[in-house]
Amino acid sequence: MPHADVVVIGAGLSGLTAATRLAEAGAVVTLVAKGHARTHWGSGGLDIAAPHAARTPADGVARLAALDHPYSYLAPCVAPSVAWMMERLAAAGLPYAGTLDTPIRRVPTAIGGTRRVAIVPQAQSAALRPWGRDEVLVVAGIAGYKDFWPLAIADSLAREAVWHGADRPAAVVGVSVELRGLGDRHNLNAMHLARRFDEGALRADDIAAIARAVERAAEGRPGRVALPAVFGLAAHAETWAALRAQLPLEPFEVPLVPPSVPGIRLWRVLRDRIRAAGGRVQLGEFVHAVRVEDGRVTAVEMEAATRTHAIRTEALVLATGGLSGGGLRATDDGRIVEPVLGLHVEAVEQDAWLVRDGLDPAGHPVEAAGVRADPDLRPLGADHRVSHANVHVVGGLLADQRSIRERCGDGVAIASGWRAARGLASDATRSPIDCEMADSARTEL
Amino acid sequence: MAVPHTVDVLVIGGGATGAGVLRDLARRGMTSLLVDREDFATGTSGRYHGLLHSGGRYVGKDKVAARECIEENRVLRRIAPASIEDTGGYFVATPDDPDDYVEAFADNCNQSGVDCDEVRVADLLAREPAINPGIRRAFRVPDGSIEPWGLIEAMVADARARGSDALTYHKVIGMEVAGGRIETVTVRDERTGSVSRVWPKFVVSAAGAWAGQIAALANVKVEMTPGKGTMLVYNYRVTDAVINRCHRSSDGDIMVPIHSVSILGTTDIKVPDPDDYDITRAEIRRLVDEGEKLFPSLREMRILRAYAGVRPLYQAPADTVAGAGNRSISRAHAILDHADQGVDNFVSIVGGKMTTHRLMAEQTVDAVAQKLGNTTACTTADEVLPGMEPGHHYWVGHRLADHEAEGGGDADLLCECELVTRRMAEAYLDTHWPCSIDDVRRGTRVGMGPCQGAFCTFRVAGLVAERLDAHTKATGRPAPGTEPGTPEEVGHAPGSGSLHAAIADRALTAFMRERAKGVRPIASGRQLQELMMTNLVFVDVLGVESLSTASALVFEDEEAVDAAR
Amino acid sequence: MSIADIVREATELPVSRSADECLKCNVCNTVCPVLRVTDKFPGPKYSGPQGQRFRLAHLQPIGGPGSANPPSPDASVDYCSGCGWCTTACPAGVKIAEMNNQARARLREGTRPKLRDWGLGQTDLTGTLGVAFSPIANVAMRNRPLRRAMELAIGVHHKAPVPPFAKRTFHATWKRRQAKAGTGSGKAQPGPDKAIVYFHGCSANYYEPHVAEAAVWVLRRNGFETIVPDQVCCGLPLISNGLYEDARAHACKNAKSLARYAKAGYRIIGTSTSCTHTIKAEYEEMLDMRDEDTRAISAATWDIMEFLLDLHEQGRLDTGFGRLDEDLPYHAPCQLRSHGIGLPALDLFALIPGLRARDMDHDCCGIAGTYGLKREKYDIAMAVGRPLFDKITASGATVAACDSETCRWQIEAATGVRTRHPIEILAESYRAMDRARGTAEPPGA
Repeated sequence: MPHADVVVIGAGLSGLTAATRLAEAGAVVTLVAKGHARTHWGSGGLDIAAPHAARTPADGVARLAALDHPYSYLAPCVAPSVAWMMERLAAAGLPYAGTLDTPIRRVPTAIGGTRRVAIVPQAQSAALRPWGRDEVLVVAGIAGYKDFWPLAIADSLAREAVWHGADRPAAVVGVSVELRGLGDRHNLNAMHLARRFDEGALRADDIAAIARAVERAAEGRPGRVALPAVFGLAAHAETWAALRAQLPLEPFEVPLVPPSVPGIRLWRVLRDRIRAAGGRVQLGEFVHAVRVEDGRVTAVEMEAATRTHAIRTEALVLATGGLSGGGLRATDDGRIVEPVLGLHVEAVEQDAWLVRDGLDPAGHPVEAAGVRADPDLRPLGADHRVSHANVHVVGGLLADQRSIRERCGDGVAIASGWRAARGLASDATRSPIDCEMADSARTEL
Repeated sequence: MAVPHTVDVLVIGGGATGAGVLRDLARRGMTSLLVDREDFATGTSGRYHGLLHSGGRYVGKDKVAARECIEENRVLRRIAPASIEDTGGYFVATPDDPDDYVEAFADNCNQSGVDCDEVRVADLLAREPAINPGIRRAFRVPDGSIEPWGLIEAMVADARARGSDALTYHKVIGMEVAGGRIETVTVRDERTGSVSRVWPKFVVSAAGAWAGQIAALANVKVEMTPGKGTMLVYNYRVTDAVINRCHRSSDGDIMVPIHSVSILGTTDIKVPDPDDYDITRAEIRRLVDEGEKLFPSLREMRILRAYAGVRPLYQAPADTVAGAGNRSISRAHAILDHADQGVDNFVSIVGGKMTTHRLMAEQTVDAVAQKLGNTTACTTADEVLPGMEPGHHYWVGHRLADHEAEGGGDADLLCECELVTRRMAEAYLDTHWPCSIDDVRRGTRVGMGPCQGAFCTFRVAGLVAERLDAHTKATGRPAPGTEPGTPEEVGHAPGSGSLHAAIADRALTAFMRERAKGVRPIASGRQLQELMMTNLVFVDVLGVESLSTASALVFEDEEAVDAAR
Repeated sequence: MSIADIVREATELPVSRSADECLKCNVCNTVCPVLRVTDKFPGPKYSGPQGQRFRLAHLQPIGGPGSANPPSPDASVDYCSGCGWCTTACPAGVKIAEMNNQARARLREGTRPKLRDWGLGQTDLTGTLGVAFSPIANVAMRNRPLRRAMELAIGVHHKAPVPPFAKRTFHATWKRRQAKAGTGSGKAQPGPDKAIVYFHGCSANYYEPHVAEAAVWVLRRNGFETIVPDQVCCGLPLISNGLYEDARAHACKNAKSLARYAKAGYRIIGTSTSCTHTIKAEYEEMLDMRDEDTRAISAATWDIMEFLLDLHEQGRLDTGFGRLDEDLPYHAPCQLRSHGIGLPALDLFALIPGLRARDMDHDCCGIAGTYGLKREKYDIAMAVGRPLFDKITASGATVAACDSETCRWQIEAATGVRTRHPIEILAESYRAMDRARGTAEPPGA
């Protein structure tokens, strides 16, 4: 049976963070996952904490840390882990803008609303800057592409109400740009567009066409351009540089419904980093059993053709996600279960899972369901004791966060993945890493 | 469309019965107007299980209803082929069903004229492997499924071709009764708020479960006993034929394949108000517990949503039996001539079911014709409805086959689940504008699949914006539906895009709300996961709560948000 | 057997019902290699869980053959190559590729198969004839005008990679050798701990006997004699061309011949990842065969790399590997991923001193069994594999490795780089050790 120091289950941000850090620290780490998940569904930005009243991500973390929330014990790890993550993304050519102290601001969305963010990929960052009084916002879409409708978006963003008191552009104009050959396509999704820019054959022509349309729409006014987030995957950096150089106004990408091109860029960077550091990343692995002896996980078994494929391991990082990621599953008889280890799940009663109004600001109570953990992220049983000594629960599976409303999912994922790896890496490699960094951060926050 | 001053007959209610009455009247030369407070088929006609009855469900207790069903079944197959799928149906005897009912079933069918053949259980199981292998006997009957929206549109088109008209989003808000007659009816345009009066010779209420409320406007008493029926929509075809249990009709004993889904029906619970009812988990449990007797792996199948409709059940005062459940009330219809309560030009048609709507309309119009001295014979059973080809029933694969014939691919699919192309949505908008995004849903099935609108609602909104913009650019004038005077327009420049944006907001936020409502009683497994994923995308990526109609809720009370924790 | 029976069997419930798991999240569309390069295939989401909802649940008279309403109304599903990446990446467990395969079978139900599709399925027949007439056949297959005529006549693309036939089948060579050595009936057969059953499949039998020879040699070095019972094609080419009934007949023959070994505890080892996967999984999953014999052979079947890695993990592998100082680009075939056993060849290559094996990390070479041979799909297959070919060419290596035969032929034809089965690399390394020790034996002995 193959052996790993640590098996990580789950290929979302928390699992990727843990596996990256472990692999960099020299641990033998294998990340297994059923498939892609939240990286491919989200905005590609890093939502650290933006509960309603928060002014900055740091402020949001502090507010949430005061509640029953994973940040109540993870808060000290947030600053070092986010800095750690942003360094790696930047080194791979995918720089992010913003810090924990950047004011949370409203940026336009692909349905003509606004959302509150602070840390975003560089390509989205121009939207963060306050709007000058004379600035126009040109919303430029690609004709025939069905997930970004520039005229409807512009109509909606022209209304003061969707900005909720934030400063906003003086005018919003929508324009649809025809790109050569797209009209004949039978299939056209965000990936097709991203790859078209990657390949580069048509890149210059496409960008020139967009530049002309923006020029006309802007009518000489200063301002910025909102574009669908499809500008390249592997060649995103070059594409974006060319776009910035040639558009008459400063561009920013607006994230779209899944599949998320910015999220896929993020996934690729981290996957490559894990592999480069000697770790393994295996998709399509359905974990159907975990061997446990004396409260310790000893092996992870995966479904394979005819026989189980098992990996012996010293420790397990469970990064399977919450209800949306599939790490928790609601049964039709009203239970919420954690299917991998059968961990104890904290959740409200079935009748209270969902509120009647899907837009209720508090969100659905069931969102807070999850596994509670001790400060070392080891799972707690119904008796509040650690149920599995060498298991670490990270990311969306942790109880007491309402990540959708509190916009804390990425922060919890990075901080918990990083924190879990810190403990494990020092076990696995006998070399304490980064602990000082976290300790100094603790005093700061 | 303006409301005419005078008409021969005013028909109230845009369900199947009202549309059938309008068509029949028009074909007999009586120019009429139909009004509905919402879109066509927004009441019970759009919220039932989709069964085209063979009559088999009534043979045990109501042979008249059974005979009506089979006769009308044959008529509808002939005149409305495109709205019908010839699925065939079976009555199967599970181990729980009483022997005497099963023994008598074939004879009962024969006596009611319902074609019925016993088939070998093994043959049926080979054809429909989802059925409980423990069934003892099986009978084939000519059940089918029937889709209401196209049917109603076709009936209205037939009436319009003969000078009649129908106005949706026009609510009857008052009636003036004088000298034993309804003199005028007051109608409010629900979209513009404008109020008009109509002077009809005669009024037909086909308001179904709402007939009591309409009658009350003329001081007439009609005692409706609305019966809520809850149904579960399963993700795809559990069966290809309608499957009924061979017993006295009860809860959770029928599965109807319709389009790409299957519907498990139903419960029957008396509700005081046809507009206000909740679906409870207990009902869902009951449906699934019973449904499991027909389909043992039902519990593992994915429910898309639960919905309920209210049956327009009517109980004549003398029939009232204290404590009797709703199933004992007749499914047959009744035509109430309100002359007995002192209003001479007013009838209500109550009770009945989709399958017999044409017959109900015929009998209603017979009554009206007699009063108005019209002797023209009914011809509604004779001719195929406009836009339909004789003998061409729809079938589950037709959209996929049609789309493939046009080159396939998903670039043009606004709704991927239900295969609604941009061209289909545009064709609907061409003929129905001004209309709501919800109307587009009913007209095209956009948003009715597993994602329940998550990926398509904003695309329809986007398409509408493009068309409005093109119209304004081409004509220099605001597009119809965005002219001054519309209520959404408050605070928006006339004809501006922001008006459209307000309309789109409503659709998007209504989607979030409606979806949570439909999923709430059945939330578990993948459907809950998908709701959560959709929430993630709509809130975190798309910022749906920032849109205007949602904002009041979200940003006024931050304290409440924290307190809610 | 009625058509209803055939279709019911083809529509094995667990696969078709897995459409219920779909979250509509579009992840499958981001990984589909065919959707990436062509508009002819509408993508896994459309053809799989979406299309499934528009197919009859079972078979109604209304959808019978000749009817205007076929059981599977979307001919475009035929452009699915069956590589299985969609199934791998799906976070919810939808068996998309399998669903597409069944839809293809339904598409063909009741119609006569194309001569070409039937012919591509008859690997034993072509193989037997080809070997018998190999001098002529091999010249013919290199003859361009003849290949063009063949393309016109039966639809096999004139440039499609078709390897030369062997002069004699492996099976015949083996029988002759056994007879000469006097082994066989008279002598006691070694037990299951000392011998394995070899499933050579069509490729090693008719085209690449050297792969079979290498396998036998490496196995003997590790203490296992080889038993080669009568066998026929595993049936995969028939399954992927939608000919389930013929495939079942093959499966039955194999089960009959191999089950007694499996039940006696012998392991069945194959050198073709696609044959072994077919026996392991598809006999049950696609062909709905659940009898005792089939289950026994499924459970006993191992890919040779999986088997050797297992030996290594038990400490029983001869790790006396000789130095191979070279770069070795490695392509993991799609079928290997379906095994769910990781990448055992890479683990074994890591034991060879000096060998710089590198995973090319490309999704699919394009051939996908017989897909890339077909006239209408050849260009698609080449476009799918293009980035892989470019990487291999750019590596400057003279030899590449891949576990699956059709992939090897595709890569060789596209790059000109000799592409070998990993077992050949291991054999070469052992020989290098023997040479170093001065104990080399003449090859083939």
